[in-house]
Amino acid sequence: MADLISEHGRQNLARAFERAARETLIVDVNDQISIQDSEMLFHADPGQAILLITISSFTFRLLTIFQIAEAPALSAYYVRGAAGRSLQEAFAEVANMCCGAINRQLALTWPHLAMSIPQILDTRCLAFVNDLRPQYLSQYALSINEAVKLRATLCLCCSAPVEFAALASEAQESSGELELF
Amino acid sequence: MSTSARAMAATLSDGSGAERRESLSSQIDALSRELAHLRTLAHAFERWHQDMIALTEHSHNINVAGDDLTDLARNLIIVSLNAAIEAARAGSATHGFVVVAGETKNLSRRVQELTGEINKHLHKSLLLTTATFQDIQAGGKLMMAAVSGLEAMSKKLREGLD
Repeated sequence: MADLISEHGRQNLARAFERAARETLIVDVNDQISIQDSEMLFHADPGQAILLITISSFTFRLLTIFQIAEAPALSAYYVRGAAGRSLQEAFAEVANMCCGAINRQLALTWPHLAMSIPQILDTRCLAFVNDLRPQYLSQYALSINEAVKLRATLCLCCSAPVEFAALASEAQESSGELELF
Repeated sequence: MSTSARAMAATLSDGSGAERRESLSSQIDALSRELAHLRTLAHAFERWHQDMIALTEHSHNINVAGDDLTDLARNLIIVSLNAAIEAARAGSATHGFVVVAGETKNLSRRVQELTGEINKHLHKSLLLTTATFQDIQAGGKLMMAAVSGLEAMSKKLREGLD
């Protein structure tokens, strides 16, 4: 099957995720988040869960999948100030905001988009993500303040050619850089 | 151009002003009725939503049962190993029991392999089901938003005509 998404589109999708992650996955604006492209991380760690959210259009669906380890640092970071809530509940809200931010960026190119509600699955399900026949799959290792570790997977399934534009602000930044030369 | 749009265009170009208005008005009424019908799609989405929730929960329960079965098979192997060790200790008089213990161990291993395979299928099934569920859920919102957009346009057309 021919590529339904160009390299440019892939890069813009990756940027949309990274931008959304930087905006929404940190609790405090002073927190530092690092986002690294990662090798395939489809190993199943017992006791872990994955959280799925789908953004759908008429021609594609984008699954954003977060791996949530029951790690004390992760719980302490996202559950603080929310007594009585589980890590999964607290993180589902954060993940929802992250996907909302991706949604807003993709809506620049695709005005007709909608998001599902988050759902939790056993992490062993992640091993079968290729069975969704994605046209684009990327994984990230995220680290907040070098203590809180997360993994995320973007899985794009298209039924027609799909392109994603860069954010207008990025284009402006880019043209600004050019002017310096 | 759709049939109704062509009909509307033909009426507008051929008829008198009053006829045009009347025709346009009836076309808008027809459009509003169709949109009202389309809005009942929400009931179908709700039905699918409830069914998919039940299906996802069902898959989850099967997964839990699969994990229990895997644990059972693992314990069965340990028991059969212990039985084989005990039979060997007891000496040649228990040769028959050694054979039975060995076969039990082999069968337990086979059960473990099979439950492992079944669990893989279950996890794959759960991912595919959930991804489909989420796509349907989001797709439903998309369609309802499209219907709302068309209703707003229809309302504006009606206001423009009145």
